[in-house]
Amino acid sequence: MIDQDEDPKFEQWLKDAAQSYHAPRATPREKIWQRIQQTRRNRHVIELRPWMRWALAAAAVLVIGIGIGRWTAHQAVVVNAPVVATTDATRPDLAYQVAAQQYLARTEVLLTDFRAQSAHGQLDPQFVAAARDLLTTTRLMLDSPAADDARLQPLLEDLELVLAQITQLPTATGRKNEMDLINQGMNQRSVLTRLRTATPAGPAPARAEGAL
Amino acid sequence: MDETQLIARVRAGDSAAERALYDAHVDRVYRLAFRLAGDDTLAQDFTQETFIRAFDRLGSFRGEAAFSTWLHAITTSVVLNGLRKVKRFRQREADIDDAHSIGVTRRDAEPDLKARLKKAVDELPEGYRTVFVMHDVEGYTHEEIGVALGVETGTSKAQLSRARAKLRVALSDFAREWVT
Repeated sequence: MIDQDEDPKFEQWLKDAAQSYHAPRATPREKIWQRIQQTRRNRHVIELRPWMRWALAAAAVLVIGIGIGRWTAHQAVVVNAPVVATTDATRPDLAYQVAAQQYLARTEVLLTDFRAQSAHGQLDPQFVAAARDLLTTTRLMLDSPAADDARLQPLLEDLELVLAQITQLPTATGRKNEMDLINQGMNQRSVLTRLRTATPAGPAPARAEGAL
Repeated sequence: MDETQLIARVRAGDSAAERALYDAHVDRVYRLAFRLAGDDTLAQDFTQETFIRAFDRLGSFRGEAAFSTWLHAITTSVVLNGLRKVKRFRQREADIDDAHSIGVTRRDAEPDLKARLKKAVDELPEGYRTVFVMHDVEGYTHEEIGVALGVETGTSKAQLSRARAKLRVALSDFAREWVT
């Protein structure tokens, strides 16, 4: 048996041929530098460490949960409908579920719209801002107990990647190709299908009421 | 100004020194990120993340190893973690535009060989592929790879040897090229 380390001809041939493997392009120095500076400037305003993200997510979910709780209590009085008793122990989980469903509904709308816009290779500037906002929420969700759901976590990770790609789309040249690649990726991972499966049908208030 | 002085100035908050340090190392970081990711957008993301982490942690750099070694340890960590995250999702771009390639002075591989080689390297286990790309493609030493990946030098050598053995089998159709 020939030891590979004793075959200099093969090694040299392999090294030469392997230069074509993922041959790098010229480094976009300025572009990367600008992004580094931008990111660091933003972080100087509010630097979210992991524990802060979790705390922020918990606070956001708590506010949403309280809001929904008050809203459903009000509805119960108005329509005089029977109220299903719940224990205090189940409420935090439900609050996270409601927050997750609202987030998923918004993301579904955005990605459906993205698919429609990508057919023309055009993108509304406000769209990217909305995607960036949802990306932040996705990361908060990933750091919250909502990500403990074994079905939700992989979906959140896929959504994080899609949204990150959308926020980094080039302004003009090559945008159509990039958008097609994002759509291809979404199709391969059945992202929209999984998103729709995870999102109950019906308007948002009905979903929230059902969850509670 | 040598690099030690440059680093001291960065620590002192000198933004010009920060840019100089970035300029001195960004090409090699980006090249490694691109070689491992095979995607310009990801390579840019990984390069950005590498420098942000490096500047954040510069206070913990004690100068016991070369700055480039320390920086490439951050690079490989960022890239490998990032790739694991997107592995299931991302479709690697098959076409690399040779017109944009840099630093390649050897003859281009034949198209069929190029595609076969790409497939064979992509199919290597992560550890083998990383060591192969760093050593045989980008020219890192086993010592540098060992520090970057947090493994013994012997492990790096063994993984390279296994990677080459697998590639030799996968590319056996081209044996006449290296035999002659």
